[in-house]
Amino acid sequence: MVSKDRQQGGAAAVLAVMVAIVALVLGLAACGGGGGGGGDSSEAPTAKAGPVKGDLTISNWPGYIEPGKDGTVAEFEDETGVSVKYIEDVNDNEDFLGKLQPQLEQGESGGRSIFVVTDWMAELMYDLGYLQEINSDDLPTVFENMSASLRDPSFDPGRKFSIPWQSGMTGIWVDQSKAPEIKSINDLFDPKYKGKVTMLSEMRDTVALVMKAEGVDPAEATNEDWLAAIDKVKSAVDSGQIRRFTGNEYNEDLNAGNVVAAIGWSGDASIISNENAEWVMPTEGCVLWSDNMVIPVGAPNTPAALGWMEFVYQPEVAVKLAEYITYVSPVEGLEDLAKPEVAKNPLVFPTPEFQKNCSTQVSPPDVEEVEEAWQDVLTG
Amino acid sequence: MRSLKQRLVPFWLLGPGLLWLIFFFVVPMYFMGELALYSGSLRSGFELTWAFENFPNALSGHEEQILRSFFYAGTATLLCLLIGYPLAYAIAFRAGRFKTLLLFAVIAPFFTTYLIRTIAWKTILSDDSPVVSVLQTLSLTPGDGRVLATSGAVIAGLTYNFLPFMILPLYANLERLDLRLVEAAKDLYSSSRTAFLKVTLPLTMPGIVAGVLLTFIPAFGDYINAELLGGTGQAMIGNVIQSLYLNQRNYPEAAALSFLMMALILVIVLVYIRFAGTEAFMGDEDDAEGAK
Amino acid sequence: MSAAARAWAWLRHNALPIYAGLAVAYMLIPIVVIAVFSFGDTPKDKLTFTLDDGFTWEYWRTMFDIPELNDALSTSLRLAFFSTLISTAIGTAMAIALVRHRFRGKRLANLLIVIPMATPEVVIGASLLSMFIYYTFALGFTTLLIAHVMFSISFVVVVVRSRLIGFDRNLEEAAADLGASPLTTFRTVTLPLLAPGVIAAALLAFALSIDDFVISNFNSGTTVTFPLYVYGVSLRGIPVQVNALATLLFLVAVIAVSLVLVQQRRAERMAAVQPEAEPDGPIPLPGTAATQ
Repeated sequence: MVSKDRQQGGAAAVLAVMVAIVALVLGLAACGGGGGGGGDSSEAPTAKAGPVKGDLTISNWPGYIEPGKDGTVAEFEDETGVSVKYIEDVNDNEDFLGKLQPQLEQGESGGRSIFVVTDWMAELMYDLGYLQEINSDDLPTVFENMSASLRDPSFDPGRKFSIPWQSGMTGIWVDQSKAPEIKSINDLFDPKYKGKVTMLSEMRDTVALVMKAEGVDPAEATNEDWLAAIDKVKSAVDSGQIRRFTGNEYNEDLNAGNVVAAIGWSGDASIISNENAEWVMPTEGCVLWSDNMVIPVGAPNTPAALGWMEFVYQPEVAVKLAEYITYVSPVEGLEDLAKPEVAKNPLVFPTPEFQKNCSTQVSPPDVEEVEEAWQDVLTG
Repeated sequence: MRSLKQRLVPFWLLGPGLLWLIFFFVVPMYFMGELALYSGSLRSGFELTWAFENFPNALSGHEEQILRSFFYAGTATLLCLLIGYPLAYAIAFRAGRFKTLLLFAVIAPFFTTYLIRTIAWKTILSDDSPVVSVLQTLSLTPGDGRVLATSGAVIAGLTYNFLPFMILPLYANLERLDLRLVEAAKDLYSSSRTAFLKVTLPLTMPGIVAGVLLTFIPAFGDYINAELLGGTGQAMIGNVIQSLYLNQRNYPEAAALSFLMMALILVIVLVYIRFAGTEAFMGDEDDAEGAK
Repeated sequence: MSAAARAWAWLRHNALPIYAGLAVAYMLIPIVVIAVFSFGDTPKDKLTFTLDDGFTWEYWRTMFDIPELNDALSTSLRLAFFSTLISTAIGTAMAIALVRHRFRGKRLANLLIVIPMATPEVVIGASLLSMFIYYTFALGFTTLLIAHVMFSISFVVVVVRSRLIGFDRNLEEAAADLGASPLTTFRTVTLPLLAPGVIAAALLAFALSIDDFVISNFNSGTTVTFPLYVYGVSLRGIPVQVNALATLLFLVAVIAVSLVLVQQRRAERMAAVQPEAEPDGPIPLPGTAATQ
């Protein structure tokens, strides 16, 4: 066997190496930061304007632009000479923030000049100091053509950091061949549809709709109202009423015939192949939201970003986008330019009458407490 | 006499891997560990407050998901073993020239990406599909006559997706088995079953230990099967950590729960190794020699 | 023997291959489904998993028409190739060190191997990202490669180790006695005997890399891998070309492996015809793996 001397000599060598490694690790770690956070928006830089040229990287949601040679990106490139890298990597607001947060914390955007995120995420990013402000003087076309209802949202009065890309409505997709009588969120709690109903995992959609169905206005709701609605959903979960909570994938269950109704978004007709499924405006109204273009801190080439925003607010460009995306365009007065069958579609050109009971998407007063209660229901 | 050069050989062999793991795993984990002791929120800022209460806080209310993860991962591992061992055995000894081809068939599904495989399964198992109708008549459906959005679906998903993790280490070890020993055992013990239990099984134990570990450990922390195939009430601990990190942005609690989970798995692994025999895991050759 | 008795005996003798065949069929079910639906015409060229609109070759003809899909796939294949190469080399070296050499700190090294497998992916992904950002590494192919190698090493070590345990050193001692240097012994005796384990480990590492989603999502910057691409398009409809490409990949791999098989058989036939020719590789001994 190995002699004692040899063993001890070997042991000493190993020990020395291990100590060195630990010292190295601690040394590296000592320089390291923690989770960061606690940013503030009071000193947000303003995006600089200038000649529109160079390269532009945009992060957007999938399906929000027509691809290929006839698409909007190609048109923009032809007109301005800007070379655009268009990435569809925003699949979920929170996933996106999760992966970008360490960079944004350091004032970097990973090379991106524009993100497109939903209202509440734009607000959160701004509060955390991750966004640049936009000078409305740099965007004459945008501010001339923007719909009146979108000009002064509660989370960004005067649109200082967010410019709407498309708006949408959250309501109920109903399989008319199986449950044509579903007209309200409360109908989803009917035991005869047990296990045949899905709801969105997005708290600001589902819980707000449940509150509305109880007669509570989300804009005025207290924490207790939110929590009470969450309790109602929880009972439905425990009884097996709700099959599952989904993001965009509610279309799978609808297509496969696994559910009779799903809370979902108005512009998703293109991904729902079930011909019997129709988007229904709940009797108590829908939830209105927008996905917005924002310019992050550290964005390279902000002039090109501003140029892009100007470009897509031109009516000819905006109407093509609306026809492809089938969500609501932020540009006013496109009905005359649009194809007739699109112009008549209330989901693309909703009238104020159509939307009369709808509420804009809001956050609860104590976000963390309500979010935690909601996540407990989702991961129960 | 072993020269210094010879004594350093293990370190040359270990070096690259150890360094890689230290720089790209241990260091990030150190940051995570530090983060577990922070408190605050993304809005108000995180800071180091030696918040040890993050650990019990992370655990409380999530015991059900931990038990459920244990149950799902355990069942899936058992199923993988039952399906995988005979398959690995067959590939090692009955496949002849087609060995590599069959091994390949085992991992081929991975080329199609998890999402597409799962969509394919969801199509096969959707509520109105003929497959589910057959299962319904055989009374084999969990839940209310459906297969998807149930625990059964999650376990089936885990089993299917982790089979290669069980089969490949089993095969690697089984292939080395000297069939003459098995022949001799059959002569000694007249029944093939006893020969298997007394000779084959113990000899292939290292493969089984490896396969079980490679399957159970990642399955325990899995979240995607529960997310895509489960409904309400199938969330595993991986889903909770995902939710804490991304949806609640409660980084300290997410980090604390992750560490607790890792510690729990380590304990399970150590207990398992003790039970299965250290030499099967540590692979100390001298121990193995002694066991013979 | 009666016909029934013979049938029963046949069944018992072939139970294992039959069972294995069923298991392989089970593994390939999604691939069949995917292949079938790559021929299904759909109104918007998006996957619907129904055959209502008839059969078409269109998506196979236009398979390479989507630049984002091609880029994503080629990125993933390159990533998997390099990740497999590096992690298999590093992991095999580590396994050899862990099984064959005695040194202090072995338990610690063993633990360091197991812990990454126990860590939830979101934690590995997020913590690696934080570290990369902090040390201002540019996110992209390199960071992806680093991450992929990191999580693959543990799996490679466990698989190779399960083959190494109880390895018969006599062959290597014989080679040394015959005058071979340690390196030659390693090259001509150890490595070939180790080969099945290394191949199994490499296959596993490849599968892990090509299928990874969570960790890649965090550390890819603006690079898109195949799973990331599929996840992105799955929200608005997967182009049917994805199915066609996935099926093609599978077929190409099967054909490649088959060609290797044919080549091997040819080499064996040649060797049989010219017995004076020096055989490549180690001298085959009866009953060991090397005769395969």
